[in-house]
Amino acid sequence: MSEIKPTDAAVPDEKEEEKDWAAAKAFFDNLKTHKPRPPKPRYAVTIAVSSRTLFDMTAERKIYEEEGVEKYVSYQVEHEQEPLNPGPAFPFVKALMNVNSRLRELYPDSEELFDIVLMTNNHAQVGVRLINSINHYDLTIERFCMTGGNSPIGYLKAYMTNLYLSKSADKVTEAIEEGIAAATMFMPDKEIELSDTQLRVAFDGDAVLFSDESEIIVKQHGLDTFFEHEKEFENKPLAQGPLKCFLEALGKLQRKFYAKNERMNCPIRTFLVTARSAASSGARVLKTLRSWGLEVDEALFLAGAPKGPLLQKIKPHIFFDDQMFHIEGAKEMGTISAHVPYGIGQKYHRGKLIEQPPKNE
Amino acid sequence: MVSTVQNTDIEQKDAEHAVVVAMTFKAVFGSDDGDDVYGAGVAFTLLQALQTVNERLLLENPSEMLLFDIILITTDRQQQQQSDRIMSSTRHHGLQIHRFCFSCEDDFTDSLLQNKVHLFLSTDKNETVQAASRGVLSALVDHQTTLCSSQQLKVVFCGDSIVQPDADINAASRQAAEVFSAQLGEMRRRFGALDSPLSIVVMTSSGGRDSCCSALRTLRTRGLSVDEAHCLAGAPRGIILSVLRPHFQLSDGLSGLQD
Repeated sequence: MSEIKPTDAAVPDEKEEEKDWAAAKAFFDNLKTHKPRPPKPRYAVTIAVSSRTLFDMTAERKIYEEEGVEKYVSYQVEHEQEPLNPGPAFPFVKALMNVNSRLRELYPDSEELFDIVLMTNNHAQVGVRLINSINHYDLTIERFCMTGGNSPIGYLKAYMTNLYLSKSADKVTEAIEEGIAAATMFMPDKEIELSDTQLRVAFDGDAVLFSDESEIIVKQHGLDTFFEHEKEFENKPLAQGPLKCFLEALGKLQRKFYAKNERMNCPIRTFLVTARSAASSGARVLKTLRSWGLEVDEALFLAGAPKGPLLQKIKPHIFFDDQMFHIEGAKEMGTISAHVPYGIGQKYHRGKLIEQPPKNE
Repeated sequence: MVSTVQNTDIEQKDAEHAVVVAMTFKAVFGSDDGDDVYGAGVAFTLLQALQTVNERLLLENPSEMLLFDIILITTDRQQQQQSDRIMSSTRHHGLQIHRFCFSCEDDFTDSLLQNKVHLFLSTDKNETVQAASRGVLSALVDHQTTLCSSQQLKVVFCGDSIVQPDADINAASRQAAEVFSAQLGEMRRRFGALDSPLSIVVMTSSGGRDSCCSALRTLRTRGLSVDEAHCLAGAPRGIILSVLRPHFQLSDGLSGLQD
């Protein structure tokens, strides 16, 4: 799947790149407010968030759907001075900002930081309210693309995006098809208190970090065949899934803390939360990670038990899973969940094959 | 010496109310291959896009007067002598050029002023600098323009120059930019939020989010409602532009043309 930085983008003109970069550096260095300047995109871990994941725009979305785009835009312009409420990606963004502060303390000259880009379909007129809201919460988001209705996919590639979060399943699916890690975010049904000193990211295994090859076996041949298969191929690494590169990017930043003796105090912690069981099918997963040179801090094998209660204890800022069944369970118990629309799991609902063809949006 | 000839094949625009756009010979037809008819230049899609905007404006209101009035201008004596070939090539390609201005190098900027040109487009940077120094809003077109849409005109305003205007900019230049912004804003208002044949983009290269927001607000006060906004804050511009595909970029001062 995708490299950490997609390389199929057009070859940049290096001299012009350096000039743009130098001008921005000069701009931020001269600011009286000492805002940290955004990192160079090619070295950063770029997270693109949509406006509806960053802020809660449910009321505004309703106006858009019921009264049309013109009414929606004028409503937003009228309420420009009123900051929006936080959306599902808000705690994640705050946690990223915290990691950046810690990284800047230890490596003041490094460009290896999180770069948060606002990537929205909205018209620029709506953008003024978005920027005002960003200012209100003092978020370090200096880059944005407001595409005025055009597809954001080209811009995601242009920004060398490592992870794209949106509320639109269509856009997320398109991004994954283009090799960009992406997920559809859901607001949890209740609020639970999250860490403000450590970024905590939880991943499902199959069809998220790994390909859906094993899930296909479960769905088509049942659990027993699955166990046999996994035992037999224990030493053969699974193929990559859409979020493998994002875990890799997190690992790279974690190692920067380890290098400075901060392992015990590392502000990034990763979790694998899988329905596999440790005894029968877990080994292959751990061996695959090892073969990729990747680690997760905690691996939790549920052997089919529901993920909701465990996630409630873990309290991640974001939890990635490919199956809506798990997303719904996690959401009910207060976990911020993100659906990865990839693999065979999309054709099934609660274990049963969905008969109708997928709805055309 | 300047002579202006109307293209009798197409309906003339009311120059008093129109947005007058002048394009150089080289932009429209590229180089002289020696054939009877000139080949397409880099600004072909741009011409088509301007045409599309005019057609859509007339669809909304058949008696619309705020339309693009297009002039082809020659900037050297050699081109000036090819007036017949230029007119027949225009006819051959079915281009909606309303007037031909056969000018020579020394005084082409005079003819821009005489014809009250609102926007001058050229493939030659020196020509754009010359025109700008006389207070005519100018922009470069190049091979990137050939990749643009013929169904939607996309104009990028460079936000950095709006927020931090070039110290050298003269009053006439600034006024030209403001007038054009207002005209474009008026045109843009004839269409809805979606499916508009005209798309206005703001891009800031070095400033942060507040710079871009400031540029959006400034353009609003000039009567121009922006569709797309891109705040790069130092991210490489070239690749974003290759996705954006604007027909040309405008800045308030001469500094934008130096890039």
